[in-house]
Amino acid sequence: MFVLSGYEYLLGFLLVCSLVPILALVASKVVRPSRRGPERRTTYESGMEPIGGAWIQFNIRYYMFALIFVIFDVETVFLYPWAVAFSRLGLLAFIEALIFIAILVVGLVYAWRKGALEWS
Amino acid sequence: MNLAEGVQIVSFGILAAMMLGAAIGVVLLENIVYSAFLLGGVFISIAGIYLLLNADFVAAAQVLIYVGAVNVLILFAIMLVNKRQDFQPLRRGWIRKAATAVVCAGIFALLSTMIVSTPWAISTATPAGDASVVVIGLHFFSDFLLPFELASVLLLMALIGAVVLARREFLPDDEADRAQVEALRLPERPRELVPSGRDETVN
Repeated sequence: MFVLSGYEYLLGFLLVCSLVPILALVASKVVRPSRRGPERRTTYESGMEPIGGAWIQFNIRYYMFALIFVIFDVETVFLYPWAVAFSRLGLLAFIEALIFIAILVVGLVYAWRKGALEWS
Repeated sequence: MNLAEGVQIVSFGILAAMMLGAAIGVVLLENIVYSAFLLGGVFISIAGIYLLLNADFVAAAQVLIYVGAVNVLILFAIMLVNKRQDFQPLRRGWIRKAATAVVCAGIFALLSTMIVSTPWAISTATPAGDASVVVIGLHFFSDFLLPFELASVLLLMALIGAVVLARREFLPDDEADRAQVEALRLPERPRELVPSGRDETVN
């Protein structure tokens, strides 16, 4: 039995969203000129000229941001039920959630002090 | 069969087809980055199936953790090591492929027999539905408060461990020099300056 209500809108959004790329590609295929020329392969308007391949090895530093993002992503999962049930929970739960966040802020401050967040 | 059931069955069919197609693509595609993105597709399809099973919190956690975090980590790991190189074909590669096939077929047979032989009891209790997230929240702040707070300590340990491991402070001298050079090197070539107007004086 399907009991979740309100997902009709999600379904509608999904249908519309799946139509958007199809319509965009079909419409541009219909409208665009089919002439071929050297101009066609150049960068559009004031775009940068691409240099080198797109498949480069990333700097290891970017992995740091991904790791920190993952930590706070998991934190979001824990805070999500708290946010939904906020009106049913009292002041005590608010303080407990603040403790939860404060413990993680310690880690954020540590990462910040260690320079893990510097984009260099 | 009314409209809601029909929509549900059609959604399940689409999601299952998406999941199977993406999973086969993960295995079969040569380009490992495509495989990683298709793995995200598998995770999203699983989240949709969780939604169909009335588990909206699990679906949200699936999208946040697996699509948002795990898949991002996998993509970063791939892009960190992704150097185009020509692989030499292994000698007697078919032995490895045969061994892999036997192991995979064995696991498939084992899981299939387990699924078939398990008596799946369907609970008759009413699903919590929309209220499930509220129920989870209430549990978090009453009888599961200690695990909830311990989870943040665990996350803190993971964060500090990641920082410590990724930014080692004590490197041997020769290694430190090399590390500095590596860190300073840009991953792309410096570009030449191209004159674009009549004021251009760069040679």
